[in-house]
Amino acid sequence: MKLRITLPILTAVMLSASVAQAYEPDWKRGRVYYRSVCTSCHVASPVGQINPSGKTKAEWTAYLDADKHDKGKDSVKQYVSKAYRASIKSGNKAAAKFADVPDQELLGDIKSFLLRSAKDGESPASCS
Amino acid sequence: MQRIRWTAAALLSGWLALIGASSALAEAAPVKLNTTADHAKFKELQKQFNSGPEVTKACLSCHTEAAGQIHRTKHWTWEFLNPDNQQRLGKKNVMNNFCISISQNYPFCTGCHIGYGWKDKNFDFTSEVNVDCLACHDTTGTYKKPPGLAGNPVVGKPLEMPPGSGKFINPVDLAKVAQKVGRTSRDTCGACHFFGGGGDGVKHGDMDSSLAAPDAELDIHMDAAGLDFTCSTCHKTSSHDVPGSRYKPTATEKHAAHIRGKEKQGNPATCQACHGNTPHKSQVLLRQVRMNTHAEKIACQTCHIPAFARGGVPTKLSWDWSTAGKLDANGKQFTIKDKHGHATYASHKGDFILGEKVKPEYRWFNGDIKYTLLGDKVEKTDMPTPINRIGGSPTDGRSMIWPMKVMHGVQPFDPVNKTLVMPHTAGAGGFWKELNWESAIADGMRNMGAPFSGKVDFIKTEMYWPITHMVAPKDKVVTCAECHAADSRLKGIDGVYMPGYSKFGWLERVGWLVALFAFVGVLIHGGARIVLSLKKAG
Repeated sequence: MKLRITLPILTAVMLSASVAQAYEPDWKRGRVYYRSVCTSCHVASPVGQINPSGKTKAEWTAYLDADKHDKGKDSVKQYVSKAYRASIKSGNKAAAKFADVPDQELLGDIKSFLLRSAKDGESPASCS
Repeated sequence: MQRIRWTAAALLSGWLALIGASSALAEAAPVKLNTTADHAKFKELQKQFNSGPEVTKACLSCHTEAAGQIHRTKHWTWEFLNPDNQQRLGKKNVMNNFCISISQNYPFCTGCHIGYGWKDKNFDFTSEVNVDCLACHDTTGTYKKPPGLAGNPVVGKPLEMPPGSGKFINPVDLAKVAQKVGRTSRDTCGACHFFGGGGDGVKHGDMDSSLAAPDAELDIHMDAAGLDFTCSTCHKTSSHDVPGSRYKPTATEKHAAHIRGKEKQGNPATCQACHGNTPHKSQVLLRQVRMNTHAEKIACQTCHIPAFARGGVPTKLSWDWSTAGKLDANGKQFTIKDKHGHATYASHKGDFILGEKVKPEYRWFNGDIKYTLLGDKVEKTDMPTPINRIGGSPTDGRSMIWPMKVMHGVQPFDPVNKTLVMPHTAGAGGFWKELNWESAIADGMRNMGAPFSGKVDFIKTEMYWPITHMVAPKDKVVTCAECHAADSRLKGIDGVYMPGYSKFGWLERVGWLVALFAFVGVLIHGGARIVLSLKKAG
């Protein structure tokens, strides 16, 4: 009797858990996107290079959570979106290579790269 | 009633489960595609590890043969017996003109050893648990082996390094690293090979941290947004033994490209292993033939690597130890840096010359290398003493013209015994702290059981590094005019006739005479025909 009840419930819980398994960010993919796409605009003055090691982990997290690019003129997400990648992929190999990566995954990858490369991260890194 | 309610509930949850299952199918259950084994799922790795060897023990419980395989390799022994001349090489034995040698500097140098605990010459090379699996198989980029710890990572508490500096190295989460092991990558190989000689890009010139995620311009094969080759794509490894070493390089490769199903011959890390010996293709047959003829005598690297240190990281071109030991007004060691923040003088190391985008020097090279080892006699003259002599000539049938980084040095030697010396540099009692050559050299030589007279002088040295990485895209290769001109890149290379550069007076005169005679002949013949046809018509 008890088994008849718990078994299906358990199965349901297990299945939904496996579906919702968290995506494991790939910092290396984040590195390539950051350096090829973000940096390709940010090398030009007056913006200048923005080194991952220029901010702390907390600052990067706050920046990504606020999602304000260019002081709120647009969003950071937009520059990671599939639509943006599609728009630049003819001239940007990284955008072309990652054209089909879901937005959330790529954003996670970039965040993972930035956190490990931040001023207080495991491996502070510059743009190049 | 109760029973019915339960059954309904059970049915409902079963139905939910089905929906869950079908949606899982529709979205495809997450599965790792880069490995067949998710190490995070292994019980052996789901625990706290307090040292490197504990992790290795867990690895070896499944990968039973791995440590034995590693024991056979240069990566483990730091020793290599050159079969051509029986010289005993490898980091354990050779000297260079960077940090010179590992004698009495073990805990610092062995930060790059793929083992744990090589702190002096009594290290047990038969130990299996001291093999460091993580150095090469980490994928998190968090596994670091700082110099000074004899190849151990920092575990437990943060470590202040250097002591008293207020800078701390955080401990490595060994369980996390162990659960995420995977294939080697440019980052794992690079953790040591990018930083040879004591810093980023210092030693090789064609290998530095810019190759961790390069663009096509820097390396067409490793381009992270393109072909994305790892080191092991070319250095194709079996049984943990990585092929393609500079102790015995392949200068000329006569074998055809490696093809599946065919018995593999030769070194898989050469260009020819993939591209073959006639790699050039062109719509214009003449051009194709001419390019492929070049490939008979000129190494691919010579044209396809126009310069090294192209990734924004400078490499050292010269290291003068003889000026080391100066102190500032307060009697303290000091450093002079260039505008990019790279040291050009340090009290404990001497003067450096750095370079970026450096044009290589070119030499005939057949793959033979003979080192000047400890105990070999050297003479102080105006000519630099070769740390390694490269073999090669235009006529030996085994040589090609290769690009080289030539590292220039001025380093300590023993003027009485006439040998190069191995000083103790790093750590307590070493030159870097004490700035005393006599005691530093005496200590290093004692450790090797080598004689030292107690006298110190300095000698000019040079060391050859064949250049093979940082392959440019084909539109950025060395152009014809860079060699076929008076100011040729290959200036001084003998044994080849280079139109535009070589000056063979008689050959050129004969050539021009032939051309002149042909032209005159054409004029006479053509003129005669015109005159005759006019006569006929008239």
